[in-house]
Amino acid sequence: MKKIDTKAQNVINKIKKLYGNSSDLQTRIIKTQNKDIGILFMESSSGSDGISDNIIKGIDYTINNKSIFENIFDSLKNTIFNAQLLTTKDFSEFPYYLSSGFTIIVIDDSEEAIILETRAQIDRGVTESTSEPILRGPKDSFTENHSKNLGLVRKRIKDPNLWFEDTKIGTRTQTKVTIAYLNDVADKKCIEEVKQVLKKIDIDGVLDSGNIREFLLKQKSVFPQILSTERPDLVCQSILNGKIAILVENSPFAIILPNVFTDFIHTSEDYYQKPLNISFTRILKLLALIITLFTPAIYIAITTFDQTVVPDELLISLAVQREGVPFPTFFEVILLMMIFEILRESDIRLPANMGASMSIVGALVLGQAAVDAGIVSPIAVIVVAITSICSLIFNDVDFMNGIRAWRLIFMVTATFFGLIGLVAASLIWIIKLSSLDAFGVPFLAPFSPFIKPSQKDAVIRYPLPKIFKRPLYLNGQDQTKQGGNNEK
Amino acid sequence: MKNKLIILILFILTITLTSGCSNYRELNNLAIITGVAIDKSDDKYELSFLIANSPKAQTSSKEGEATTTVFSGKGDTLIEAANLIDNKSPKQLYYGHINVVVISEEVAREGFLKIADWLLRNPETRKQFYLIQAKDTKAKNILKIVEPLESFPSQSIASLIESNITAQSISSSIKYSPFIEKILDKGFDPMLPSISIEGKVKKGSTEKNTEKTEPETYLKLDDTAIFREDKLVGYINKKESQAVNLLTDNATEIRYEFKYNGNNLVFISNKVNNKTKVKDFNSIDVKVQGNGYLGEVDGKISLQKPSTVEKIEKELNKSIKKQLEKTLTKVKDEYKSDILGYGNKIYVKYPKQWDKIENRWNDKYLQKLKVNIDVDMTIESAGSLIRTIEEVRK
Repeated sequence: MKKIDTKAQNVINKIKKLYGNSSDLQTRIIKTQNKDIGILFMESSSGSDGISDNIIKGIDYTINNKSIFENIFDSLKNTIFNAQLLTTKDFSEFPYYLSSGFTIIVIDDSEEAIILETRAQIDRGVTESTSEPILRGPKDSFTENHSKNLGLVRKRIKDPNLWFEDTKIGTRTQTKVTIAYLNDVADKKCIEEVKQVLKKIDIDGVLDSGNIREFLLKQKSVFPQILSTERPDLVCQSILNGKIAILVENSPFAIILPNVFTDFIHTSEDYYQKPLNISFTRILKLLALIITLFTPAIYIAITTFDQTVVPDELLISLAVQREGVPFPTFFEVILLMMIFEILRESDIRLPANMGASMSIVGALVLGQAAVDAGIVSPIAVIVVAITSICSLIFNDVDFMNGIRAWRLIFMVTATFFGLIGLVAASLIWIIKLSSLDAFGVPFLAPFSPFIKPSQKDAVIRYPLPKIFKRPLYLNGQDQTKQGGNNEK
Repeated sequence: MKNKLIILILFILTITLTSGCSNYRELNNLAIITGVAIDKSDDKYELSFLIANSPKAQTSSKEGEATTTVFSGKGDTLIEAANLIDNKSPKQLYYGHINVVVISEEVAREGFLKIADWLLRNPETRKQFYLIQAKDTKAKNILKIVEPLESFPSQSIASLIESNITAQSISSSIKYSPFIEKILDKGFDPMLPSISIEGKVKKGSTEKNTEKTEPETYLKLDDTAIFREDKLVGYINKKESQAVNLLTDNATEIRYEFKYNGNNLVFISNKVNNKTKVKDFNSIDVKVQGNGYLGEVDGKISLQKPSTVEKIEKELNKSIKKQLEKTLTKVKDEYKSDILGYGNKIYVKYPKQWDKIENRWNDKYLQKLKVNIDVDMTIESAGSLIRTIEEVRK
């Protein structure tokens, strides 16, 4: 803690020196009979309208009118027109507030300074979610404005037990990181663990919640045990279930943890539609997962090792289609897969109005010309197309990339060992998945370990009136969701 | 840690590289055999393979259309012949998808068990292919015929057999390993469907054969071949094989033609069953039951009268019984073959006595066996017509 200089002019000089005379630092001295009042603010991050309307006018009013208070400090503190007003005696806090868009008032002979919230609205408004669109349900999404994000959560859960805990991470960026949870529902141990992890982070800058994610994941796995979302309703659903959300300043993506496998086949929309149809959709998603993981590997295995399992006509048709293709099957499939991944990646990076040319080149070159030229066989194109389409059903990028990694492993084992190798590799995959856990929650819960009451919302979704419990594997303090007294 | 990693990498490399993809074969390097024909000439076996995946010349392979190629080779053993074919074929021979095995009359008369070993022993084969007998032609020629409705010949043979068992019960299908099992079983002789060529082989073995609306050459399912143990002894015609199917309870649908008052009638039934019971050591009771409808009636018969239908029924039963007995005599006494498995039934009931007569069963005791046939067919309806057209016209 550094004491504040009792001369306003000195304080201003010090700050100017600290910021290297940055052009957006604005200072002003208002002289009264015997004392100088210094006003400091950053033009770039604060709204100057509010400063001149409320603060300068307010100071002027206080000086010119007789006040019930003895000194200027007290009268300013009590009469200035501003919703949020802080005082501090610590000079080292000044840069943080200044950069955040606050206005600081220092007065001669006073050891305390007044800090007023005058932040400018430098962000976009609340818009529709782009990365997780849904058909029915709330369409708003988080923005880069931290307090707006907190507001989007707070207005949905009005229970005072929804606690927000702030920490500042990043020695240079001083980014606010808020842990949000229901104090009487979430697992205390888990909260403690998260806090410990956050406390230990010593990094110069946090620009997005993605930076923090990596500190929270301890186990090596391509599948993420943490979910990122920009949907406030999904965050609230998770908090209500007893999970913990982490919101990071300037990041429109909130982190939800702990996360299990089934969460990737669920969406927030699942609870706004008819349960029977949603159950069907979830089964479809599981099917798509299996298809996208195994199709290329099975194709390689049955065309290079285990031809015996293919029906006669199909085998002959496959054999004739592959006639004249110069590459081995594995290489053929990998080649197409690579081209698809490159297409997908460039599609994300490309400005939207250039997308049309991409799709024409992609469809024509990949689909038609490659087959006509005899570089790849038509069946390989079909295999890769099915694989890619099925992987696009999951909107979590990390999960999608995890699938991609394991698909490659399966393909390699199928190339070397055929179907037997594929079976062995998938066993290893399941073992690996079930050995994962995040903050004490097994990744494959509620299947392994098997938890019967939680099956009501795992693959098959029961109607909401029948789901009484929160997911039990989250070890929450209060596990009853509805009908509290009847079900206990 | 570093050492461990190196050991792990070495381990993976050894497993993947030294195993050398032992069974790795690219699909386009395989010659997929779908049909096998076994002939015998000049004391040497002639083996022919039907290879199904030769792409059509000069068209792009995109459509997945295939033509077929027949390769053959001669040798003292089948393996020797197969090796000769291997030398001719630019691709590796692949036995996993054999669909049909055709054997010639010479091979069948000499005894099938001599050559049965090779295909069964080969670990790659599925053992689920049809076995069929070529009649009046070389087995190799059967493979050569290009059939109009199916894309490749071996498939057409298989579907020819399959459709005929279910539709008419005029032949009995048999797969390779059940056939051998039947030979080895006590008191059982096998039978095989036979296939013959209608038209000229030369014309039938080009793609042009399929371009005509009425193909000049085609395959047809012929009489059923009767074996005694593993040797061919003779044939029975379609009507007789239908009777055999009735006696062995293999019939799923029968179409039986008979005469009533000089008019032709056809009885169709798809509900027939057969109860065979060993009465004592020397006699067997067979009861054939079923119900069906009249499929064709020509002439003036008044079907509205119940008494007429009863008379027709009586005539039908008499006719079927006569047919069954005739067939039985031919198979049992003339060919001395026990394709009906009566010996097996007696063996199950009297295993001790069977041992004494086993050697002379086909020659002596089979002829002595008395078979009491009882036929009980009922006509449930006369089809969609109540009166015959002739009757109305009058």
